[in-house]
Amino acid sequence: MSLRLDGLSKNFGEFQLEPVSLTIEKGEFFSLLGPSGCGKTTLLRLVGGFATPSTGKIILNERDITQLPSYERSIHTVFQRYALFPHLNVFDNVAFGLRLKKLPRAMILDKVNDALKLVEIGDLGTRRIQNLSGGQMQRVALARALVNQPQVLLLDEPLSALDPALRVRMRDELKALCRKVGATFLFVTHDQEEALQLSDRLAVFRDGRCLQVGTPKDIYEDPADSFVASFIGSTNTIVGEIAEDLGDFVALQSALGNFRVKKNGHPYPKSISLILRPEKMRLLRSRAGVQGNLVEGQVAELSYLGSRTEYTVKTLDFLFKVFEPELERSRKRSLNIGDKVYLSWRPEDAIVLGSHGGLQH
Amino acid sequence: MKRYPGTAWFFFGWLVILTLLPFALILGMSVMERTIQGTIHFTFTLENYLRCFHWLYAKVFGKTVLVAATATFSCLLIGFPVAYHLARSTGARRQVGLVLLFIPFWTNFILRVHAMVSLFGNHGLLNHMLLELGLIEEPIQILYTRTGVYFGLIYNYLPFLVIPIFSALEKLDPSFREAAMDLGANRSQTFWRVTLPNVREGVVVGSLFVFIPMLGEYVIPDLLGGAKEVFLGNVMVSQFFTMQDWPFGAAIAGLLSLILLVALFMQTRWQRRVQGVLA
Repeated sequence: MSLRLDGLSKNFGEFQLEPVSLTIEKGEFFSLLGPSGCGKTTLLRLVGGFATPSTGKIILNERDITQLPSYERSIHTVFQRYALFPHLNVFDNVAFGLRLKKLPRAMILDKVNDALKLVEIGDLGTRRIQNLSGGQMQRVALARALVNQPQVLLLDEPLSALDPALRVRMRDELKALCRKVGATFLFVTHDQEEALQLSDRLAVFRDGRCLQVGTPKDIYEDPADSFVASFIGSTNTIVGEIAEDLGDFVALQSALGNFRVKKNGHPYPKSISLILRPEKMRLLRSRAGVQGNLVEGQVAELSYLGSRTEYTVKTLDFLFKVFEPELERSRKRSLNIGDKVYLSWRPEDAIVLGSHGGLQH
Repeated sequence: MKRYPGTAWFFFGWLVILTLLPFALILGMSVMERTIQGTIHFTFTLENYLRCFHWLYAKVFGKTVLVAATATFSCLLIGFPVAYHLARSTGARRQVGLVLLFIPFWTNFILRVHAMVSLFGNHGLLNHMLLELGLIEEPIQILYTRTGVYFGLIYNYLPFLVIPIFSALEKLDPSFREAAMDLGANRSQTFWRVTLPNVREGVVVGSLFVFIPMLGEYVIPDLLGGAKEVFLGNVMVSQFFTMQDWPFGAAIAGLLSLILLVALFMQTRWQRRVQGVLA
């Protein structure tokens, strides 16, 4: 019981989705993440049957459905702007698929009411589409797709039309809904935070290519290249050359000084990039007693965000972004713009990439 | 009192002077008497309206409505697919299609009808061609028959029906079709259950755009239908210009307008009721 994409590609002439092979397990919440024009929506449309692939196969539960028209696939879609039928009310929108299957009236009534209750709009059945709020439309669209018990539910940026507070709330509901109905959710988004929070696994796309597939943790902590690293979360990048072998470590020589880099069992190329996440560095008031990698700089900017404070620290021409958790900040001396500070990190907390972007293992 | 911009007053004035005022004159005239000399006498009478219900005029009226309705329906059968394909096509195809649709308007209406006379006549281009090809022995009588009138009506009014339907179809979000197919509707189910209900207004507007002027049509029946195919419009025109009976002509015009108003009113009521049921 899984959805398998086997070398699926689409050639539009000016845009090309390069062959993608993926296996998505039943009940998995899988996201396609990338900036606009990266091919994620194209892939979704291929799975939904709204476009024909140039090459490759779509296999659902061991059955090749590549040539099936969209109306014969047990895959249903929540469209980006919902595409609710304006000539029908909420109930009739949700009943649309069931009526096409010629189910008995009483059964349709039960199923639609159950679906509306599932998305918590049990009392809106007689409402006209024009009189719904964005959040309610989103729920109707979910109910309309889920009432048909799809094996795969496709979601095309369903949260992007909502206001920010509602968007965050709907994330939790979507995740809970996926667990509850047991269908596979294939979710398209350009919002990395959304993808990290919702997904069991995700695929990152850029320029028609699938760059990496993995769990949110895999992708955040072990990005395939510098694009993935910077698209998901913030990064500070130090470029340098390997100068010396120190046993478990190598010494990296860079414009900012020499740093220790942990070996990972594979030889590094001569020049590498060190990717440092802002939350993986500590902001020190003095350098006393510090061992390991250290950079000296000045506070150039700071923003207090409640749970953490974000600092921009300037060293030579280089700007570092560093987050300091509130618990730590509140126990230390307050910093002002212009104060001298030290940044330190453990060698094992840095991500090492070949300087041309590819991950070196 | 609400303040209106200058342009609103301009159009309001336009409407009053060029539409409402002449209409009021016609209505006023319709309840006056005609003297033996053909002049109008200012005494109130409903005689002109009663005359409209004479079987002779009632028959013409019935025929006008029937022919206009049939022609409207035929326009719909031809025009909807045209509008549908125009709306679905893109780029150059659509541009060319729209230009082709409008090219007839570059020629004067009367000239176009006259062109049809020479096209459909017994010695016209069509019959000539069919005879030459040996497809027919005798010329087909199209000119001066009801068929001729239908050809004229459909040809001349088709664009007025295509445009509102085209624009309704064009405004229709393409994701509605995808959503319908996603939910299990095949092409024909998608059309009948989603596309058509959502362009119903365009269909109604387009149909009224052709039906209403067809009811008042007199050039086409006159030139293509000959003496046998008389529309209410021809009766009206002959009352004004041949019989010199302006009050009776005005009464026919008044009655026709009344019927159109009632039809429009009922259509709005019906539409509101349908929406009320949905709400």
